[in-house]
Amino acid sequence: MARVGVFICHCGENIAGTVDVNAVAKAALDMPGVVHAIEYKYMCSDPGQTMLKDAIAEKKLDGVVVAACSPRMHEPTFRRTAEEGGLNPYQCEMANLREHCSWVHEKAPPTTDKAIDLVRLQVEKVKRNHPLKPIRVPITKKALVLGGGIAGIQAALDIANTGSPVLLVEKSPSIGGHMSQLSETFPTLDCSQCILTPRMVEAARHANITLYTYSELEKLEGFIGNFKATIRKKARKIDEKLCNGCGVCQQKCPVKKIPDEFNEGLSNRAAIYVPFPQAVPNKPVIDLANCTYYKTGKCKACEKLCPTKAIRFDQEDQIEVHDIGAVVLATGYKTMPVSNFSEYGYGKYKDVIDGMKFERLASASGPTGGAIRRPSDGNAPQHVVFIACAGSRDRLKGVPYCSKICCMYTAKHAMLYQHKVHGGTATVFYMDVRAAGKNYDEFVRRAVEDDGVKYVRGRVSRVYEDNGQLVVKGVDTLLGGEQVEIRADMVVLATAVQAQDGAEELAQTLHVSYDPYKFFAEAHPKLRPVETNTAGIFLAGACQAPRDIPETVAQASGAAVKVAGLFSQPELTREPIIAVVDRQPPPVFSHCVGCFLCKSACPYQAIEEESIKNRQGDVLKVVAKVNPGLCQGCGTCVSTCRTKAIDLQGFSNEQVFAELMCI
Amino acid sequence: MEELHNKAKELLSSGAVKVVMGYGKGTGESRRPIFVRMAERASDLVVDSGCTQNLATYLTKAEVCALGRMAIVAIPSTLRSILQLAAEKQLREENVIALAVIDGQLRELATFDAIEQAVATIPDAISEADRTMIDKLVAMSVAERRAFWAAELNRCVKCYACRSSCPMCYCERCTMDCNRPQWIPVASHAIGNIEYHMVRAMHLAGRCVECGTCGKACPIGIPVHLLTFFAEDSVRRQFGQKGGASAKLDYAMSTFKPDDKEEFIR
Amino acid sequence: MAEQFEPKMTAFVCNWCTYAGADLTGTSRIKYQANVRVIRLPCTGRIDFMMVLKAFSRGSDGVIISGCHPNDCHYTSGNYHARRRWMVFRDLLDFVGIDLERVTFSWVSAAEGAKWAELVNEATNKVRALGPYKEIQQLAAVGID
Repeated sequence: MARVGVFICHCGENIAGTVDVNAVAKAALDMPGVVHAIEYKYMCSDPGQTMLKDAIAEKKLDGVVVAACSPRMHEPTFRRTAEEGGLNPYQCEMANLREHCSWVHEKAPPTTDKAIDLVRLQVEKVKRNHPLKPIRVPITKKALVLGGGIAGIQAALDIANTGSPVLLVEKSPSIGGHMSQLSETFPTLDCSQCILTPRMVEAARHANITLYTYSELEKLEGFIGNFKATIRKKARKIDEKLCNGCGVCQQKCPVKKIPDEFNEGLSNRAAIYVPFPQAVPNKPVIDLANCTYYKTGKCKACEKLCPTKAIRFDQEDQIEVHDIGAVVLATGYKTMPVSNFSEYGYGKYKDVIDGMKFERLASASGPTGGAIRRPSDGNAPQHVVFIACAGSRDRLKGVPYCSKICCMYTAKHAMLYQHKVHGGTATVFYMDVRAAGKNYDEFVRRAVEDDGVKYVRGRVSRVYEDNGQLVVKGVDTLLGGEQVEIRADMVVLATAVQAQDGAEELAQTLHVSYDPYKFFAEAHPKLRPVETNTAGIFLAGACQAPRDIPETVAQASGAAVKVAGLFSQPELTREPIIAVVDRQPPPVFSHCVGCFLCKSACPYQAIEEESIKNRQGDVLKVVAKVNPGLCQGCGTCVSTCRTKAIDLQGFSNEQVFAELMCI
Repeated sequence: MEELHNKAKELLSSGAVKVVMGYGKGTGESRRPIFVRMAERASDLVVDSGCTQNLATYLTKAEVCALGRMAIVAIPSTLRSILQLAAEKQLREENVIALAVIDGQLRELATFDAIEQAVATIPDAISEADRTMIDKLVAMSVAERRAFWAAELNRCVKCYACRSSCPMCYCERCTMDCNRPQWIPVASHAIGNIEYHMVRAMHLAGRCVECGTCGKACPIGIPVHLLTFFAEDSVRRQFGQKGGASAKLDYAMSTFKPDDKEEFIR
Repeated sequence: MAEQFEPKMTAFVCNWCTYAGADLTGTSRIKYQANVRVIRLPCTGRIDFMMVLKAFSRGSDGVIISGCHPNDCHYTSGNYHARRRWMVFRDLLDFVGIDLERVTFSWVSAAEGAKWAELVNEATNKVRALGPYKEIQQLAAVGID
C-alpha cells in the first residue's frame, strides 16, 4: 500500500496569498495513498527540509510530493533532501503551485481547486515511481583528436598534460594546419611558424601523444567512454624508422613540376616530398598519382639513392583499431576558391589571388622568400587592391555569414605589403571593419594611420585584365556612391571561410550534427559551445565556425577540459531517466517484436539489437535494447512503439495514465 | 492455374519448401486460405478473382513458421506486405518464396529485390467503391462524420478479427492487451471502440498496404478498412512515403524532414 | 439559473521549452485562466496520441499540446517526430469526427511566457464558446471505463 507524504509550501505569501493552503492539505489527506499532509511557510528552508526528512522516517513514507514552486527550481534540492531522509531521490515529485498556479491566477476558489488537482496529479504519479539508481558506464581514458592544426595540437597537449594518452590523427603528411602557412599573425605581427613549431615539436615529443600523420579515421563505433576508432594509416612508402630526413630523395626525384599544395601552387614540388621544411614528422611521402614508378613501373631513383635504404614501394596502408573514451573534432576550415568568382575572373587571372596565397608570398620561408611578387611576371606590384568580404555575407554565393577573420588579415596583408614594397599603394574595399578582439581595432588603425592604407567603403563589381594590368571597378559609398576605378598590379581577395571538404561525410561517420554550411553543430549555441549533441564528441576550432587563433586555442583548451573532466571520474554517472525495453521470463522474453521502428526514431542511436539465445546458442528472438550510456530520455521511442514494450523511467506510461485518470 | 499446381508440386516434392499457402475453394463461391503440405494436394490451390484476402498475415504466425520454409501464393497486396514485414525484420529472405500472379503470369520471386521490382510495376489502387465512400465521408460535415462513425463503431463487438487478419498486426502483445496501463477498454464500449480503431489506424499509418482485408474480415460489416486507408493516404500525401514499397525500412512516423510543412501549429 | 460553464483543459507540454515558458509566465506574474491542468513530459516526442484520446474520454473539453520550436528541441529531434505524428493524427481525428477546434497545437519556447498565457486564454475561450464536449462525454459515460 502506498504511503505518500504531501508537503505544501506557503512560499511566504507567494502561494498562500492566492491559494488556500489549508484546504489543499485537507484535500490531500483524502487522496488514496496519502498518509501525511502538512503545510509550512518555507519548505526549502532548513527547518522545512528537516520536517521532510523527519516525516519520511516517522511515517515510513515511500513517496513524497512537495507542492511548492516549479520543479525546474527546486527538484534537485528536494530530491537530495529526500535522499538524506533515506528515500530514493526519484520517489520525490513536485507540484507546481507557484509559477503555474498562484502567480498566474486570481485569488478565487477555482485557483484552490486547480492547486488540489495539481497535487492529485503528482500523488498519482509518485505512487507509480520506481526507485532508480544512477547509471554507471565505464570509461576508456584515452582521447582521439581529429585534426593536427593549432586547435588539435592545443587540445592534444592539454589532454596529454593531464596524464591521459592521446591519439592525434592528421590527414596530411604533417601537423600544423593552416597556421603553418601563415606569415605573420595579427594583432602582434609575430611570425606564425615561430610560435607554432615549438608546439608542433612538443606534440610530437610528448610521452602521452601518439602522432598519426597521413592517416584518417575510417569508422567510429560505440558510445561515450567506450568508442572503437578504426584508423587508416596511409602508406607513405617510406620506412619511417630508417629515414633520417636527409632530403636526397626530394632533390633527385626527376618529377619536379607538381604544384606545391603548401605554397598554394606558387611553386612546384617533387613526387616524393616533405610538405614544408619545418614539417613534423620530417619524413617524406610519395605522391602516388604523380610518381613515375607507380605510373609506368620505371625510375626508382629515390630507392637507389637513399643512403639508409628507407624507400618501400610495396608498403601497404595499415588499419588500426583503438579503444577511445572521447573524441575532439579539430578538422579546421578551407577558404572559398577564387575560381568561384566569375566577376573577378574565375581564377584565370594569375594576379588575382586569395588571402592564403598572399600569406605564402609574404612568408619568409615561402616561394619568394617573403617578397611580394606578381605570380604572372615576378615583378613587385606597385598598386595592390584588397577586396574584403569576397563571398562572405553574400546569400548569392551561399555564404550569408561573416567569416570573422578577413577584416583583420586584410589589414595585416595591407600593412605587410606597405612594409615590404616601399612606395606601393594599397587600397582596401570593405563593407564594415570588424575588429572586435583585444588590440584588434588599434591594429587596423595602425594600417590606416601609420602605413597609409586606403580604405574605400564599397563593393567591387568587376575585376578584368587590360594591357597587363588589372582594372578594379568598385564604388565608394561614403562619397555618395561614386564609382571608382583603380588600375592595380595585384588583387587579393579575402575569400569566405568554409567548412573543410569532407566535413559532411566525417560528421555522418561520427553521427555529429552539422549546420547547412557543413560546420559542426554545438550542443547549445551559448552555454555548450565545445560539446556536440553526441555524448563524448567535442569541438575545437574553425570546424565549428570561422574563428581566429586566440579563440581557437581557447576553445581547444575548453574541449580538453571537458575530456579531462570526463576522464577524471572512475565511471560515468548518468541520470537514470532513460528508456528501457521490457524483459519477461521465457518463453516470452520480451514484448518487443523486433521491428526496430524505435531504432530509426532515436535521435541518439541509443537503441541496439540484442539476440536472445537458448542454451544451444540458437537465436530465439532479436529484440531492442537501450544503451544506458547514450539514451537521453526523450521518450520518442516510447510513443513510436506499438506494443508498448519500451517505457521511459520517470515518465512511464503508467504514470501518465494515472495523471490522466485524475481529470 | 495449372502452372501454379505444377510449381507447388515441384517445390513440395523437392523439399524446397515445407508448405505452400494459397487459396482453396470455400463454401459456395468463397475462397479460403489453405496450407498445402503434401505434393499430391497441390491441385487444391485456386487462383481467380475471388482470391482477395491478403494471406501474408500467416507468414508471421508461429505455427506456420514452425513448419519450415514457406511458399505463398501472392496477390499484389501480399507482395507489399512481404516487403513491409521484411523492412520490420519479421521475415528472412531465405524463409519465404512468393508465387506471384501478375498479368496472368506466374512468377516465382525468391528474393526481396525481385519482389521490390515486381511491386514497382503494379499501380496502387483501392477499389472504386472504397474510393467513393471515402470521398463521400470527406465531403460530410464534422458532425455528420462523427455520427456515422459513432454509429458504425458502436456495433463493433471487439472480436479483433480485423487485427488478426491484418499482416501488419503481428505484435505478440498488442497495445490493447497491455493492462498496465489499460489505455483502451477491452470490452465493447462506445468510446473505447472509436479509440481502438483510431489507434489501429495510427499504428498502421505508413505501414498499411491497403489490402482491405480488415474490412472484409469484420463479421459485422463495419468498413474499418476506410480508417486505415485514410491514415495511409494522409501519410502518402504529406510525406511521400508509403508502406510496402521496399524491404529497407522507410517508416514515415520514425523519420522526419526538418521542413515538414504544416499550418496548424501556432 | 445555469452556472457559467467552465471548460476542463488538459495540456501536454515538454519540460524544456513550454514548461519553462509557463514558469516564465508565472515569474512575470502574467495572469491567465485557471482551467488548464499541465501534464509535464520530457519532450513532445513522448506524447502518444492515446494520451490525447484518453484526455477527451476522461472529460477534458479541450486539449493543448505544446513544445519546443523546430530546431530547438533539447533532444534534437523529438519535436520533429511529434509534428509528423500530429500531422497524421489530426487528419484522422477530423475524419472520425472529432472537433479539431478543441485541440490546439503550438510551439512555445522557454522565453515566450506571454505567448503561453495568450495561448491558454485563447484556447480556453474557444472551448468555452463551443461548450462542454457532450458528444464524447456521452459516449464515454456508456459502459465501463
